[in-house]
Amino acid sequence: MPRIPDPQGIEAGASASASFEGALLALVPALRRYSQSLSRTDADGEDLLQDCVEKALLSRTQWRGFNLRAWAFTIMTNLHRNRHRTAAGRPTVEIETADDLQAPDIVGDPLERRRLRAALDDLSADSRAVLMLIVVEGYSYEETATLLDIPLGTVMSRLSRARRRLGERLAKDNVIPLRRAP
Amino acid sequence: MNEESRVIREEELHAYADDALPPDERAFVAAWLADHPDDAALVAGWMEQNRKIRTVFEADFQSRPTDREMLNSGRGSIFLRNRWASVAAAALLFASGVISGSLATSLTAGDETVAASLPGEARSAFLIYASEVRHPVEVGADEEDHLAQWLGKRLDYPLTVPDLSAFGFALVGGRLIPVDGRPGALFMYQNAGGQRLTVMLGRNEKNHDTSFRYSSAGSIETFYWIDGPVGYAVTGEISREELQRIAEECYRQFDT
Repeated sequence: MPRIPDPQGIEAGASASASFEGALLALVPALRRYSQSLSRTDADGEDLLQDCVEKALLSRTQWRGFNLRAWAFTIMTNLHRNRHRTAAGRPTVEIETADDLQAPDIVGDPLERRRLRAALDDLSADSRAVLMLIVVEGYSYEETATLLDIPLGTVMSRLSRARRRLGERLAKDNVIPLRRAP
Repeated sequence: MNEESRVIREEELHAYADDALPPDERAFVAAWLADHPDDAALVAGWMEQNRKIRTVFEADFQSRPTDREMLNSGRGSIFLRNRWASVAAAALLFASGVISGSLATSLTAGDETVAASLPGEARSAFLIYASEVRHPVEVGADEEDHLAQWLGKRLDYPLTVPDLSAFGFALVGGRLIPVDGRPGALFMYQNAGGQRLTVMLGRNEKNHDTSFRYSSAGSIETFYWIDGPVGYAVTGEISREELQRIAEECYRQFDT
């Protein structure tokens, strides 16, 4: 039973599904940012976002009525992990082709974006999710542990692994290969 | 254990890089880093990574006109498998005004000014959090000082929490929310009848001053204004007249 008196109680039942969708719609920008930060290309990111929204709508009865954001982020993380597992047997879309699919413009330096993503693609799906939840989405270590349903120590070890790997990878990227004369 | 002999754990270095330490521990780690150049370089590298990652992905925090269609098409059996082809159809539907309703949220994207996106974001925040029964806020009214300090720090702007008791609204608490892709603050109030209203603050250097403006969607009313680098929005499902009086009071209190 809700503790808060609900003067709009009569409307509440009728608008319950509408408010779920309204709340989910309002979360789309945050979900889009998270999906992009997990994905190899913009098109992959938008695809992951759509899968997540679809899954959230289908399993809305499993939502326990609070913290929709964390619930949707958990769905997204799981979808991402599952995709990553099957990605090995799946042909990858060439970057150029993928870019053709993507209509909306991306703000910022596209080269930097591609370079960072290439480095992030080296991380395991689990480590990447931890890093992005903390760095981009601003969740605390404890919140991240709750959201992913893992111990705090696992959050810390994944974070550590992600940062070291990313550091190595970005450092390697600074090496400019000399082109050999033909 | 003697302070001198205490060795900093790697967890603490991460927490330092993520600005997740209380001030005294933060100072302690800072002192350690001053004496340990290897650790300092490691932490500096992580902070640079953080900055890079945030810069690259912050622009993705955006709504698109097709978002609503994405939600609608996910329902039932008519889900369009050819997602990219559906974009044009959605644009058409959207333009013809078939999709409307009281739950309008910010559908502006990209380089819109905060003045344009503020009422939409304020409404979204109200819709999401005012309906939360168990966790409407991150920090409760019992920690009002901490709340003002914490959110002020994240916005990089000295905050006062408006006192709306003259209108019968008591502070429930507040939370950190994204406003135009940056840290913003949301304060929630509730009256004896259980009605809630929210006061949202978002910081953006691109802001230009605006007069008091008004926006409504269905039964939800929003008053908003921009004052220097900060945008304010007061949102509630109460009468426009009452909300305006409350907004004016907030304006007075924020002004000091």
